[in-house]
Amino acid sequence: MDITGIGVGSRAVVGDVFVLNTSDEVYEHRPTRHTPAEEASVLATAIATTAAGIRDEASAGDDTTREILDALLTILEDPELQEMAKPYLDTGDDAPTALFKSLDEFAEMMGDDEDFLSRVGDLRGIAARISGWVRGIAAGPSIPQEGSWIIVAEDLTPLETSQFGSSVIGVITELGGPTSHTAIICRALSLPAVVSAKGAMQLKQGESVLVDPEGNRVVRGGSMSQATQALSFIPESDTPLITVRANIGGLADAEAAAATSARGVGLFRTEVLYLSAQSEPTLEEQVASYTEVLKAAPAGKIIIRTIDAGSDKPVPFLNLSEEENPALGIRGFRLNHDHPAFLATQLTAIAQAIDNTGRDVGVMAPMVSTAGEVEDFAALCAEAGITQVGIMIETPAIVSVLPDLEGLLSFVSIGTNDLSQYLFAADRMHPQLGALNNPWQPALLRTVKAVCDHGSRLGIPVGVCGESAADPLLAIVFAGMGVASVSAAPSAIESVSAALSSLSSSKAEIASHAALAARNATEAEAAVRALFA
Amino acid sequence: MSVTHTMTVQDPIGLHARPVGQIVALVRESGVAVTLRDSSGKEASGSSALKMLAMKVKHSDTLEIVVDSDDDAAGLSLAKAVEALVNEG
Repeated sequence: MDITGIGVGSRAVVGDVFVLNTSDEVYEHRPTRHTPAEEASVLATAIATTAAGIRDEASAGDDTTREILDALLTILEDPELQEMAKPYLDTGDDAPTALFKSLDEFAEMMGDDEDFLSRVGDLRGIAARISGWVRGIAAGPSIPQEGSWIIVAEDLTPLETSQFGSSVIGVITELGGPTSHTAIICRALSLPAVVSAKGAMQLKQGESVLVDPEGNRVVRGGSMSQATQALSFIPESDTPLITVRANIGGLADAEAAAATSARGVGLFRTEVLYLSAQSEPTLEEQVASYTEVLKAAPAGKIIIRTIDAGSDKPVPFLNLSEEENPALGIRGFRLNHDHPAFLATQLTAIAQAIDNTGRDVGVMAPMVSTAGEVEDFAALCAEAGITQVGIMIETPAIVSVLPDLEGLLSFVSIGTNDLSQYLFAADRMHPQLGALNNPWQPALLRTVKAVCDHGSRLGIPVGVCGESAADPLLAIVFAGMGVASVSAAPSAIESVSAALSSLSSSKAEIASHAALAARNATEAEAAVRALFA
Repeated sequence: MSVTHTMTVQDPIGLHARPVGQIVALVRESGVAVTLRDSSGKEASGSSALKMLAMKVKHSDTLEIVVDSDDDAAGLSLAKAVEALVNEG
């Protein structure tokens, strides 16, 4: 029986399941027959011993993981924590129980501190090892160094992924999405994975499975011959069906993109220039930065996106205050209300860089949701002398008012990541909502189609600059819907270009009809894949 | 005697786990008592990771770093080293 999920990577692998779960006994609250003083000394020894062990294991790993683990260990080694544990020990809890209760108490004290919340799982993981040491239980068996294992878990924390050695050849997680920690690490380590795989925890220790990321599935007892073949497209023409551009964040990306077959830039994320600046760069500094990037960028049109920051992606000198829901807060073009001078300077700098280089440049605003915002942005661009004005399509609200924008815009570009998040009201980073953020979801595809139809009535080109366009099959589907250009990271340009050069526009239309007719994401992808298998 | 140094937190996410770990290591190594105090008067020992995190120091908060030292120059340089970890850690 297959388990379906979201594939990460394209290489399939067969291996034996190693279930990485922590025994419940480790977390149990237990009373003790020993005195509080005896338990306190057990706790101190257990913390010191476990910390030394973890530091030792981490010493071979990368710097970031080691620093994170070190910070977490510092928290557990704090004598203050043992002070917090005392009242629990005094009422008869054993050392691990008191440790867990103190951590819970501390977590409660930290409230909604996001940095801390993102580490609580790791802290509890280390506490579980301490508990296992005290109680003589293996706190989640450690991964064998020999053999070829497929790690199966609910989700993985940095503490767990840091233990991956060469015996780990694949990963399956019940939770997580395409942008979760697990997916990012697996991509970085080139480990095939299937995340958001409902039913993964029913896999048995030691059973053989096929991890088939290309097929978004895990096959119990499957063999390599069943693996979904990565599609290979043989270019039949020199030019792709639609324009393929690069997504860049700065000079290094622009140079990398220039080495590919990308025809220009579909998304230049300008916030990268500001996120690390402590004070606002001067107009001259900004002009110099933009001129540099425009000069280096691949030949063709360049689309620049004005600053896309928010309280979760703060720009130090804009003093953005904390918000309950940063994704739904003051971000993108909404920043203009409180910081009009900033955007005016950015647009002036871009206009001067265009003059300096003579490049063909369009400028677009992120996160707009009303016609009024579009009018304001167009007026600001006109004032700065920018003639090609566009917007990002990220909110469902702007899609429905597109017909009102006649004459205001030269182009629009769809950011599929945010459009998914807002369309489904599903946090992109939420571990359990990965399936809703799957770009093959019919509601997302049909919304992209609606934007294409509005675009064609307005007589303006529609681009897709979200990560989904890096998938050659989706790029074909978009082309079939009437999208005029797609853009992707420099590393994905060649595969997307090859796919778009291998077929006729009528074949792309058939693919888009197949995707649009599907009733769920799995069906949509399977229907399109079947056309090219 | 003590040296007090006032600073503004520039790290976008405030005082978080990684710099806190580094501050504890620095303070322990120095053998000198260091206290962090925010504008509301909340204090934490520079050798307690837990207490520093519990202060929930945010971006643009003002912090006083108090170093228990008779040597003003050495005290100030330790305070500045702590400041550097808060902002660059």
